[in-house]
Formats: sequence, C-alpha cells, structure tokens
Amino acid sequence: MNAAIEAVGLTKDFGRKRALDAIDLSVEEGSIFAFLGPNGAGKTTMIRLLTGLARPSAGSLRVLGRAVASADNAVRASIGYLADVPAFYNWMTARETMRFVGSLYGMTGVQLEQRAELLLDLAGLGGVGARIGEYSRGMRQRLGVAQALISAPRLLLLDEPTSALDPMGRKDVLDLIASLRGRTTVFFSTHILADAERVCDTVAILNRGHVVVQAPMEELKQRYSKQKILVEVTGGAEALAAAIAASAWASSISLGTGGVIEITVNDLAAAQHAIPVLLSSHGAGIERLTVEELDLEEVFVQLVGGARS
Amino acid sequence: MNGYLVFARKEAAEIVRTWRIWVLPSIVLFFALTGPPLARFTPELINALAGGQLGQFQLPPPTYVDAYGQWIKNLAQIVLFSLIVMYGGLVSSETKSGTAAFVLTKPVSRTAFVVDKAAIHSAFLTVILVVGTLITWGVTAAVFGAAPARTLWEAALLWLVLGVFFIAVMTLLSVLIPSAPGAAGAGLGCYALLSIAAIWEPVRINSPAGLAGQAASLAAGIGIPSPVWAVATSLAASVALVWLAASVFHRKEL
Repeated sequence: MNAAIEAVGLTKDFGRKRALDAIDLSVEEGSIFAFLGPNGAGKTTMIRLLTGLARPSAGSLRVLGRAVASADNAVRASIGYLADVPAFYNWMTARETMRFVGSLYGMTGVQLEQRAELLLDLAGLGGVGARIGEYSRGMRQRLGVAQALISAPRLLLLDEPTSALDPMGRKDVLDLIASLRGRTTVFFSTHILADAERVCDTVAILNRGHVVVQAPMEELKQRYSKQKILVEVTGGAEALAAAIAASAWASSISLGTGGVIEITVNDLAAAQHAIPVLLSSHGAGIERLTVEELDLEEVFVQLVGGARS
Repeated sequence: MNGYLVFARKEAAEIVRTWRIWVLPSIVLFFALTGPPLARFTPELINALAGGQLGQFQLPPPTYVDAYGQWIKNLAQIVLFSLIVMYGGLVSSETKSGTAAFVLTKPVSRTAFVVDKAAIHSAFLTVILVVGTLITWGVTAAVFGAAPARTLWEAALLWLVLGVFFIAVMTLLSVLIPSAPGAAGAGLGCYALLSIAAIWEPVRINSPAGLAGQAASLAAGIGIPSPVWAVATSLAASVALVWLAASVFHRKEL
C-alpha cells in the first residue's frame, strides 16, 4: 500500500524552541489516521507543515508522493484542509464560501452547485443564509469540514475537527469521517481520545514534539491491554496486595475500595500463574480475576502522562 | 490561471461588499463635488475671514484652473494619505485573520494572491479616479462655464500612475510588516522620502518622485518636460515592487 504521508526525521524549530523533533511517520493511503497529543505537543505544527504553510527545519516530508517543498497547485488540488480555528471571509455566506472554494478547485456549474448543496446539508447549514461573521464557532467548524470535502480530496487534513462541536455535531462529523474510509486518506489531529478510538485505523501519539508510538489502533490496544490485571477478593486484600507488590512481575499496584486490586504487570504469563497461588496461600476468596484491556485513554496517559510529569 | 481569476473575483467582490467601497470613494466624491465651488468662492471666503486686513490687495478672479489645481492637490495629499493608510493591511490583514491560510491551502499560488490584490485594487483606484475626475470636470463646467478636458485628464492620469505606484509600495510593505498601522507608517515615510528626493531635478523628472508636482503643473496649465520617463520608471517600479512582494510572500510561513 502507498503512503499518502511520509515523514522522515522531520524537525521544526521556532527560534530556540523545537516543536517537532526528528519525526518519522507513515500514513497509508485510504486509512483514517489519528494524530493524538496533549495541547502544545506539536499537532498543529505538523499539519501546517503538511499543508505547506510552514517549512521544515530539517528532514523530509512527502505528501501524495511529492515533496511538500515542491508541492504545487496539482498537489493542493488533491488535499482538503480544515484549520483548528477555521477562518473564512466574514462577508460571505456559507453557500458563497462553498462556491468560492469549489471554483478554486476548478469546479463549475451544476456539479459545483449540487456538491455545495449536499455538503451544506450534511453540515447542517443548508438553510442558513446569514453571513459567516454571524456564525458561532461550532457553525464555522461544520462549514470548515464541508468546504474541506468540496473537491472529494484524496487526502483530508483535519486539525481538531470536533473541538468546538456539541455531542450531536461531533457524532455527525465522526460518522462522516468514518464513511470516507478506503476512499480518502484522513489525517486528523485531536486530543479527544474517544474520537480517535471511534473512527481511526491507526494512531500516532505525539508528546513534546516526539512521536511516542505509532501503530494500528488494535495493535496498540493489544500491546498494552495485557499489562493490567484486576483482582477482586472477598477479604484480606491488604495482605494480598502487599504480597503482590513484592513480586517481580508486578510493576505497580493500587488498592481500591471493596477489595479491588489493580495490578500493572511487566510479565503477564508469570502473573497469571502466580496470582492464583498467592490467592490460595492467603486464603482469599475470589470475586473477580480479569485481564483488563486498556482503552486508548489509559494507553495515552501511560505513554504521555509519565513523560509530562 | 484558474486560481488567478477566481481569487481576483473574490477580491473585487470584497471591495464591493465591505467598508472598502465606502471609504476611498466617499473621500474622492466629496472633493470632486466640493472642490470647484470652493475654488469659485475662495476669494469671497478669504475676504470675509480676513476682513480689512488685506487692505488694497485684491485676489485674482478664480477660474477653472483653480478648480483643477484644487482637485490634483487633494488627490496628491488627502487621497494619497488615505490610500496609504487603507492599504497598510492589504496582505497582512489576511495572514493575521487566517484567511490567507484558508485560501493558500487550495490550488492558488502565493504569487496569484499578491498579484491579484495589487491588480484589483489598482483597477479600483482607476475607477474611483475616473468617476471623481468626471464629476470634477462637470461641476467645474457648471461653476465656471469653462472646463477644458485635456488639462484635467492629463493631470489626473499622471496622478493615477503615482496612485498605482503607491498601491505597489503598500503591497510590499503589507507583506513585510505584519502590523497594518506599522505598514501605513512606513508608507507615509516613503511618501516623505519621495517628496524630499523630488528636490533633485534628475529624480524629479525621471522617477515617481516628480509625478505629483508634474500633475499639479499640468492642472495649472504650466508646461512640463515630457513625463514619459517618470511614467515609465513608475510603472516599471510598480511591477518590480509587486514581484518583490510576491517573492517575499513565497518565503513566508503563514
């Protein structure tokens, strides 16, 4: 499969501050790729580099097979883009904006009118005749998504596409993104982990300018899911917790209420064999013994939380 | 080429649908309408204000030449200052608001973005000038009974070359300086420098520095050396300034 986006050693400095540090990234064509990271991690900088609005300080960046530095109108014609804070001409209406953007992509006549109408309806702006200057932030974001799709782009770059939306708007946009799977490569940055978990195939987690991990969503969850075991016992939880904490296979342990012990393990097989033995030796009755699958939020906190602190 | 045309249409629509359609045209219209009557009644006004202080001194009776002179003087000062202030944010206002990024992530080149702005606003200035000069011409004829066309139009067109030159200057400054007031200040500085440079005759005759003075002389019916060189160098400098603006804009991060 071809890479729609390929970054090798991509670095971006702003004066003495390094926003992106030697990033290697590959986004498969047709995939939905989430670029996760806390605020200030470098997500918007990455998207600005992808759009050609900013230039890398070092490394290479290819979009749709072309180096961004030499990307011309032909490459931009295949890209749809939504900024984190979408800016429009406030004196235009949504329909005029769609016509303007469509015309820039060379669309005309009935094709342009129909496409604009369809997307405005999808964005919930079909009957809105007001000028954009009167729009709320959510309306601007929905218009931003609609205009980014006007040319049915091969690559869609979305910077925090759901950040200003209400729950219904968020669901609509995520459904829209999911419906593009296989036809359009979607690269979207977000700090809303549930959004990424819901629609994306592949995730890269960015922190302080570094890609901490890049993997398909399922692989990522699998990689981390076997590292947490929940044990719930009928009694003697404190003594059992102390014995588990002394074990070499236990990385960390937390004792909750009602005899619940949460164990992060570094050797799952050893833990799976040792825990029943410990339970038996402490005479503890089992309420529950499960290997928990971490959700993306826990993976994220595990990978980024430590680095932040 | 598509990007050039579509963005040019947007730029023209923006003029018509925003404050831009009111400011410069209103200023020009005001001076076009009031200039000739003001020239006609200037002696009476001065006599009324000065009372007996003028003594035996008599002001010559006003003619259409005074109205033309007034028109060109207003263009060369108030209208030009307004133009400089207005266009301080010609490019920077779009980079600051994010609309430049919105447009330039589409199939539009940065060169088209800059060139279209300079071209459309030069065309806008031309329309304003033609309408204003037509009004001045008509009102002068009504007030003085005589209004030779050639003198007025030659002077106005000469000033137009200066106006276009300053649009090019402001295009470059608004690319270089992110703050609109800052660029306007620099534009006024350029105006002052040109005025000083006009003291030296070779510069006055062969560059934009002398255009305002030559236009004023033409309006006053005073013969001037051929303005061909001044016009040619001004137009060439305008093209060079816009090219430079596009070139600098290419290297800018948005």
